[in-house]
Amino acid sequence: MSRDGSFSGYSRGEARTRTARSLNFDGTSSGLLGKMARLPWGVILLIVAMALIGIAMLYSSTYTNPAEQHLWKLQLIRFVICFGIMIALAMLPLSWWMNLSWLAYAGTILLLLAVEFFGVTGGGAQRWLRIGPVAVQPSEFAKLAVILALARYYHAMLGANGSRFLIHIGAAVIILIPAALVFLQPDLGTALAIVASGGVVVFLAGLSGRIILAGAAAAAAAVWPVYQFVLEPYQRGRVDTFLAQLFGSSGASTSLGESYQIEQAKIAIGAGGLNGKGWLQGIQSQQDYVPEQHTDFILTVIAEEFGFLGATAILIGFAILLGWSLYIAFQSASNFGRFAVAGATATVAFYVVFNVAMVLGLLPVVGMPLPLISYGGTAMLTAMSCFGLILSAYLHRDDKLNTTGLF
Amino acid sequence: MSKGFHPDQEFSRRMLMAGVGGGVVWAGLVARLFQLQILEGKKYDELANENHIKLELAPPQRGRILDRFGKPLASHRRAGRVTVIPEQLKDPAATIASIRQLIELSDGQVERVMEDIRRARLRRAAFLPVIVANELSYEDFARMNVHAVELPGVQVEMALTRSYPRGRDFAHVLGYVARASQDDLERLTEGKTSDEATTIERMFRHPDMRTGRQGMERFAEEWLRGKPGFKKLVTNAAGRVIDQIPDERLAPEAGKDLFITIDMDLQRVAIERFEGESGAAVVVDIESGDILSMVSTPAFDPNDFVNGISGTDYAALREDSRAPLYPRAHGGVYPPGSTFKMVVATAALETGAIKPTDKVHCNGYYHFGNRTWHCWKKGGHGTVDLHGGIKGSCDVYFYEVARRAGAQAIADTARKFGFGEAWSLGMTGARSGLVPDPEWKMRARKEPWYEGETLNFGIGQGQLGVTPLQLALMTARIATEGHSLKPKLIGLGPKDPDEHVLDAHLDAEIMKLMKSGMYGVTSEWGGTARSSGDLGLGGPRLAGKTGTAQVRRITAAERATGVRKGEDIERELRDHALFVAYAPAENPKYAISVVVEHGEGGSRTAAPVARDILAHAIRTNSGRKPAWTKSASIKPSADEGTPT
Repeated sequence: MSRDGSFSGYSRGEARTRTARSLNFDGTSSGLLGKMARLPWGVILLIVAMALIGIAMLYSSTYTNPAEQHLWKLQLIRFVICFGIMIALAMLPLSWWMNLSWLAYAGTILLLLAVEFFGVTGGGAQRWLRIGPVAVQPSEFAKLAVILALARYYHAMLGANGSRFLIHIGAAVIILIPAALVFLQPDLGTALAIVASGGVVVFLAGLSGRIILAGAAAAAAAVWPVYQFVLEPYQRGRVDTFLAQLFGSSGASTSLGESYQIEQAKIAIGAGGLNGKGWLQGIQSQQDYVPEQHTDFILTVIAEEFGFLGATAILIGFAILLGWSLYIAFQSASNFGRFAVAGATATVAFYVVFNVAMVLGLLPVVGMPLPLISYGGTAMLTAMSCFGLILSAYLHRDDKLNTTGLF
Repeated sequence: MSKGFHPDQEFSRRMLMAGVGGGVVWAGLVARLFQLQILEGKKYDELANENHIKLELAPPQRGRILDRFGKPLASHRRAGRVTVIPEQLKDPAATIASIRQLIELSDGQVERVMEDIRRARLRRAAFLPVIVANELSYEDFARMNVHAVELPGVQVEMALTRSYPRGRDFAHVLGYVARASQDDLERLTEGKTSDEATTIERMFRHPDMRTGRQGMERFAEEWLRGKPGFKKLVTNAAGRVIDQIPDERLAPEAGKDLFITIDMDLQRVAIERFEGESGAAVVVDIESGDILSMVSTPAFDPNDFVNGISGTDYAALREDSRAPLYPRAHGGVYPPGSTFKMVVATAALETGAIKPTDKVHCNGYYHFGNRTWHCWKKGGHGTVDLHGGIKGSCDVYFYEVARRAGAQAIADTARKFGFGEAWSLGMTGARSGLVPDPEWKMRARKEPWYEGETLNFGIGQGQLGVTPLQLALMTARIATEGHSLKPKLIGLGPKDPDEHVLDAHLDAEIMKLMKSGMYGVTSEWGGTARSSGDLGLGGPRLAGKTGTAQVRRITAAERATGVRKGEDIERELRDHALFVAYAPAENPKYAISVVVEHGEGGSRTAAPVARDILAHAIRTNSGRKPAWTKSASIKPSADEGTPT
């Protein structure tokens, strides 16, 4: 860190050449218009397409219900706002991101503490913080803040000499403070997501394989005590339900609570078959069989109405977005850029994996939305902010960010 | 890793690992989708269908009731109705008030509807419709239809309702249907297995289901009811019905049509002929035993009962002094008066107590014991034999005949004619009346029989009580000269377990004497109904017998002051007028009995009514081949074919 603050990678030269060429062309590369022009519009189009599909699905699952049929418009407005925020974030130079990292992290910790003391209870957990007219979930911001702080941390600590085990202790602290606060709300899903995407950054930062194996073993050993003594009763119930349906005793207890939700979700997905029943034609979807269908279980609508092909297309869409993001991490000239992008990518990826696995009955119900597609403002904002960061990293992938020191 | 660590390369290596890991997870998710949607898709598709398809009991359409020529007496009518779905009403009271501006609703109705809505919400059945108003007029239906759009949760629809197109004409024969009450359910499930009972209870809970409460509707319930089917309904997760899937195999089986022997037109003519007077008339085809007309007037309108009659309306019917609910023809018990004299004469002739030629002198009264019995004719009939006694309806003659025959013989003969026996023929409310005899009196009154009562018995008064139906059957047996008679009201329908043949032996010679007397009544000098003998058909005459049923005793004081005529007495104290007859006199086809309540004299009021009804029956040939025999005349089936 004392030296360069960045690696001299084999891929750098090519990237630099390309950027230089564009610089030469318009000569206003740092200007807003120039930056706009250099945005990867194909990728942005894919993001917009995914969000619009989500809104179409939202319409399908709510239009028969007078109390919910306006939600798609609300979601459309949110998307437009979040889209503006994403583009604005993309314009921020990477150095700004880096300089704001600790601030964002500290602010998030404060917000999480505020939730702990002044939070609004919703859905059995204390997650919401009411600020004037808007209610926000600080746990969602925590994901991005942890990533930024980790990237900032490794940017400062990681030298050419590579990984020292002690460095990773600091990273673990950065991850675990907000994760613990989120877990206390309690929001197991988000806490796991923070740990998981943070863990990916730590892994990429070169944590020793032996340590990883040891950690995995410790985690496995902790499963039983955590289940027994740490989990809230409703969380334990979800795990029980999940295990029950995973091991085939599902039919016995349909229509009962969580098990009913998973069962109905599976029926909706399975009934879609290869081609699906067509938009607005899904039996399960149109008749409100799947609880929370327009939020966390939106994939069941896609699967039922557009079948295996539709659901797979959504997964492929995410694969393209995330693959491209990984490529940007690869291309970034700075440690901050590569870790931040990789972390943001991991965050979105874990959202997708947890949500889809949950909906498909492969994971317990953890209350995790499908990014870009599920109804809900905070999740949309988090996902779009992640993409804003990634886009910023793309535009500024050659910035060296010669900051030294931790702060 | 620590040795020769190249962060750049290590980062790239680990990125690759992460990417590959992500790819593996992604592939796993797609594989799971493939498993659920392609491999197990069929199973889940079936589950999805089961999920949302609900079988709802569909009530069968009740069979119609048709007259002997196939004209509907009970059928179905499409009627507009207004329903509300409680869960879709923001403010039920306001909605009902808006409906009230469009159609008339009584306070009682509004109260009932609000109660139903409240109960539906309590039972968490707020998605089931609550009926606000039935039987909308065309104007109301049209107006509601236009405005229903502005009233969320209000539905205007057509529904099938049991309908009695002839209204009051058949009220006492057909009875009516109604929503099954707890009493009805207990009656309907009696003797059923618990499974059948459950099905019946479920079926009758359906708002469109009705059960026969009275009359033929009740008797032929199972014949008419049919079998319930099921409707395949598409529901959402909340159980709300969204759509219906047609399925032939599940369709309900409609009930069978029931034919009754009555001629609808004859019935109408008969009722009209009463010109608003209370009374009863029964016409029977003497050969087939078919009841061709069964009048009891005034009557109620069974249509009022189908959707539930209000308490006040029902009370009004019950308290009506003219008793419209009273089934006079088969449940009205009257003293037969002089129409009973043929029975008395038959008894005396059968026992040999008199010979037809035995003469009795009538000077207007008859002394027996220390009492005087009067003849209806003040100056007396002079000397009369059997023929003259019947023709002039001489009371003195029959006092003597009755005394000679004895009460027991008269009672025995009366029973041979079918008196003292309830003839339900598939209706409700049939009564047996009473044929008194010494044994009965000892049992019921703990008193011996006084011979004076025999004298009263002889002129059809006293304890004796008969129904118009019994009188018609008696007349039919006389007209056929003692042939057996199988009275029936059900043409094609369930078998009447009470049905039996009236076939006690009656001597044909004696019956001929009775007929001769009855012919005298309507066609000879001195006959009490000579003015009604001609049917007005250019030849055929009727033969009959008048009767007057005392409503109260005429007091000695009245007799002394000469106040004997009924006109001077309050209407409800006047005597009932009776007439029994058959026609045509020479070749009898129809027998009739007519009771005109408070009609005073049989010859003056009852006989003309009977004459006109018989004339219509003959003119239109009411007894001709009924409609159901056509459908019954099927060729022998193959396995009944000629033996080889």
